[in-house]
Amino acid sequence: MHIPDGYLSPTTVAVSYAAALPLWVYGFRRLKATLDEETLPKLGAVTALSFVVMMFNIPIPGGTSGHAVGAALIAILFGPWVAAVAVSLVLLIQAVVFADGGISAFALNSLAMGYLGAFVGYGVFRALRRYRWAPFVAGWSSLVASSVLIAVVLGIQPIFWSAGGKPLYFPFGLEITIPALVGEHMLIFGVVEGIFTYAAYRFLTAKDRVEEPA
Amino acid sequence: MKRRYWILLGLLTALVPLGLLTDAPAWGEWDPEHYRKVLGFIPEGIARASEAKAPLPDYTVPGLGEISGYYLSALAGVLLLLGIYYLIYRMVRRG
Repeated sequence: MHIPDGYLSPTTVAVSYAAALPLWVYGFRRLKATLDEETLPKLGAVTALSFVVMMFNIPIPGGTSGHAVGAALIAILFGPWVAAVAVSLVLLIQAVVFADGGISAFALNSLAMGYLGAFVGYGVFRALRRYRWAPFVAGWSSLVASSVLIAVVLGIQPIFWSAGGKPLYFPFGLEITIPALVGEHMLIFGVVEGIFTYAAYRFLTAKDRVEEPA
Repeated sequence: MKRRYWILLGLLTALVPLGLLTDAPAWGEWDPEHYRKVLGFIPEGIARASEAKAPLPDYTVPGLGEISGYYLSALAGVLLLLGIYYLIYRMVRRG
């Protein structure tokens, strides 16, 4: 889901940066307010965990692969604003250091995997928190929501930005991007994200047998 | 409780070469040549976007093997992110 450079029209890039900027500024303020001696190591570890989890490429039939993101897990533990900024930081490092995801697409990637993923994951978890499996559904919905936004923005590129019948940027329309991207995330990667969110949440919030002294 | 965060991070970082079991790209994250094969041409914007220059492109370390490069990339990413958090934390405490 990491959109590379060259896939989005300049207008799309401009709109996505304009939309992301205020969200980054406000989210960063929330992140700063959350950081203290207690949360710094936890938030650092769980953000680094999101980076590492995205390196586990899972192959699926059809010659493609995908991975979990971890936005829902961070959102459940630290709130959606903090999670969205944390995932944005991960995406920034991936784009700048590893050329994974384009700089021009960084805003859209952050909006999809960071903001939408975190808020959907958080909302679903809150709504279902009475149930033991809430983190699973939260993780699944979070990743599927991210894939919907990416699929729609990619899919409208050939509609609006073509010249002489030839697409200038991402060439495949909604009729291809929606089933391919949303489909694979509903059937496979969303399930992986759900299992990851569930297992990590259970593990991280379990009481240690020997209580640490307060 | 804090310990569990580090255990989980350490465990997944140690297992990170499992991510190399496939070299299939994610859907849509193709090499530009893929478009020539499928469409007969490479869309202008995609052709124009030059390969981004990155220190560790695609999680490889120049001169290192695939697995060690992937390990080192994971470690570099983890340390960078922890470093960024520490800097923000210092900034907050001073402010």
